[in-house]
Amino acid sequence: MKKRDTILRSIYNVLFPVIGALFLGGIVIAAIGENPFTTYAIMIQKSLLSGGGLLKTLHFAAPLILTGLAIAITFKANIFNMGVEGQAVLGAFFAGVVGFTVKGLPPVLHIGLCVLTGMVVGMLFALIPAVLKAYFNVNEMVVTLMLNYVVVEIVKFLSQGVFKDPGSGYVSTYPIADSAMFKKLFNSDLTAFFFIALIVFGLMYVVFKYSKLGYEVTAIGKNPEFSEATGMKVSRKIMTIMLISGAISGLAGAGFLMSEKFRFTLDFSGSPGLGWDGMLIALLGSHNPVGILIAAIFYSALKTGSDYISVFTNVPKDIVGVIQGMLILLLSVKFLNRNFNLADRLKAIWKKAGSKGRKAL
Amino acid sequence: MYAIEAVNLTKKYGDFVANEDINISIEQGEITAIVGENGAGKTTLMNMFFGLQRPTGGELKVQGKEVSFNSSLDAINCGLGMVHQHFKLVPSLTVFENILLGAELKKNFGIFGKAGFKSPIIDRSLERKTVQKLIDDYKFELNSEDIVDSISIGAKQRVEILKMLYRNVDILIFDEPTAVLTPQEVDELLASFKELKNQGKTIILITHKLREVMEVSDKVVVIKRGRVVGTRNTKDTDAAELARLMVGREVILNVNKEDRDTSRSKVVYSVKNLSTVNNFGKKVLDDISFDIKEGEILGVAGVEGNGQSELVRVLSGLMESTGGSVSLHNQDITNWWPGELRASGVGIVPEDRYAQGLCKDMTISDNLIAGYHNNPCLCKNGLLMKKEIEKQGDRLIEKYDIRIAERNGNVSQLSGGNAQKIIVAREFDSDPKLLLVSQPTRGVDIGSIEFIHRKILELRAAGKAILLVSSELSEIMNLSDRIIVMYKGKIVGELPGKNAGSERLGLMMAGLPAE
Repeated sequence: MKKRDTILRSIYNVLFPVIGALFLGGIVIAAIGENPFTTYAIMIQKSLLSGGGLLKTLHFAAPLILTGLAIAITFKANIFNMGVEGQAVLGAFFAGVVGFTVKGLPPVLHIGLCVLTGMVVGMLFALIPAVLKAYFNVNEMVVTLMLNYVVVEIVKFLSQGVFKDPGSGYVSTYPIADSAMFKKLFNSDLTAFFFIALIVFGLMYVVFKYSKLGYEVTAIGKNPEFSEATGMKVSRKIMTIMLISGAISGLAGAGFLMSEKFRFTLDFSGSPGLGWDGMLIALLGSHNPVGILIAAIFYSALKTGSDYISVFTNVPKDIVGVIQGMLILLLSVKFLNRNFNLADRLKAIWKKAGSKGRKAL
Repeated sequence: MYAIEAVNLTKKYGDFVANEDINISIEQGEITAIVGENGAGKTTLMNMFFGLQRPTGGELKVQGKEVSFNSSLDAINCGLGMVHQHFKLVPSLTVFENILLGAELKKNFGIFGKAGFKSPIIDRSLERKTVQKLIDDYKFELNSEDIVDSISIGAKQRVEILKMLYRNVDILIFDEPTAVLTPQEVDELLASFKELKNQGKTIILITHKLREVMEVSDKVVVIKRGRVVGTRNTKDTDAAELARLMVGREVILNVNKEDRDTSRSKVVYSVKNLSTVNNFGKKVLDDISFDIKEGEILGVAGVEGNGQSELVRVLSGLMESTGGSVSLHNQDITNWWPGELRASGVGIVPEDRYAQGLCKDMTISDNLIAGYHNNPCLCKNGLLMKKEIEKQGDRLIEKYDIRIAERNGNVSQLSGGNAQKIIVAREFDSDPKLLLVSQPTRGVDIGSIEFIHRKILELRAAGKAILLVSSELSEIMNLSDRIIVMYKGKIVGELPGKNAGSERLGLMMAGLPAE
């Protein structure tokens, strides 16, 4: 019975923000003078119910699944890797470099090499905050957050200098070789990268659910002192977790470059960026792998759907930004509730106000 | 008219009933003891008396008037004061500054001899005089100018009491006041209870130590599972009856352990010249040496804060030693990690149950494997064997009589006693050669205490070496074969467990070496 309660609660925790955000977005759409129902219908129809749309949605979901998982594993251990964005961008950049400098490899090897480069770079970049946290107890949240800006400047410098493609009209590196590109499948946007993301998802599911590492990560997240006292070497585990997170982030960036962008530009990660989207997805999915998978697809559907609504209605595609913003706002209510018992307090105020009102009458 | 009267007082948390229909009337100028096992609802009841929690039903009357407290400030204004188990004092300030904290006396600037305006400057000499007068009035042994950090625990408690008395409370609530005191200090405290009573104060004493109840109280209220199960005049009852009321059945208050001669047994565990410093560079363990033999329980006694916690932390791998060595079966295990210690046969029952022993937000079976999750029967190729873990969980729950509402529930739902049994089950069942047991029964109900003591003695009979650290003197005296006493990080002496005598132990705990 208890278990059902918690499942119900987690559904409520996820559904409430989603429905709330869509509702508030609907009000904005209505204010523009459009019908929110038809707008949403088009969005869903085009992104999830049509074949091509669905595959496109899945294609864009792939990097988000990965960044979501990368964040979830650290959050589960109560460590905050806010540097997923930077690790993904740096991983993508160097995967791209390998993609256009190495030539004459068969596609499978070349793709493998690029992906590996991305993962290793992501890992190495995550190593800095990991060592600082595990052995010098430096707050990882600050370090990872600040290192994102370091990445921005590094890739700007490199893509304006040594790796700049002079043939391009804007700042960009050379395009990667054909042999390093993920090929389109089924005559759609979908590439093999999505299936790589699914495999990583499967692995992480097993890690979270059935492995010793998952058990230890949960224990560390819930009570580090207990974990230390029961012989889990917490500092070493923190290193492991950060490295896994960095590798997955690097993979996300590399895959996105090799399946969608094909060259590195300064707006590669988009706005707000793969890593930040991943954070929202991890929150929406309650740090649970299956939840993250669903959330990533939902989130990606919003994005692909938005491309179509501006075609079929007068609603600008920026409405999706409004919905995302509302989603973040409503998700944070969950945290307020958990940390400050917001709902109980509101209830108490409500009751008090009610009884006063009655007295006044 | 009663000092405090509770009528059908009820407190519910969701479906859980912490207190139900409590009817208590406390006479003016009496000492009333409220006894009950841990988790029986004593603390909730007192928190309602003191305004820290609001009742969900019933009413509370103070001096015949119905009251409804929103905070402890309201309670203090109604003349109720509480002395908490953990003191709330500023160690770097003097006694009088602590007592007047938040109620400082300001210098008065009189104009033409009339009472003028209050300045923001504290009148220290007036404060000192006021507090010294208070101390003298209640015949407390204290110096108002001492720094709180440097006075004994018993004295700190007196400061807490004075804090309340200064605020003119008539009813004093004491929450487990003797938990941290030496036997001598307990006697002093009981004496000051009597003095306070003579001055007309009403005292409510929450405790589970029946000796104190019998000695000092006028009336006893027994609480069990959130209800009042009995009210007795102290002179008409005895400890055995109270224990029976608390637990609901006959309780054996003394453990029977068979004597055995260990003089020729093998030494299992040997600690030599162990020293360590804490984070502030202060030496907290100084040249500690002892041996434990097969089938022997070595008790470590001492007033809390004299290095026992650090000793256990060093021995269980949570703190590094700066000197000396530790060996198990002639193997050097100094400064090993907790994981390595467990693998080599050291069972560890840590001091702080919820910090180091258990993870409250994980399931019971997950907690039952913690520390042993590397064991090849539970974990293969980095994957946990869920079925085996559940099977082991069921077996241990059965064997150690852990009372749970739901098998997949979290540890946070369990009472202190059952939570402790999880640790005991985990550590005792792994067949250790040596057991480090720290505060095994702190905050645990009588039934579980009995059970845990029996299990410890079973392991002793099986030839294990056991180090027992406890602040509960009776526990140390009942179980140990030998007792070492710690004072300021050193061992002041050793006594045989039999006929140690609380008087002698008490003197050694105060730092006087055995003659």
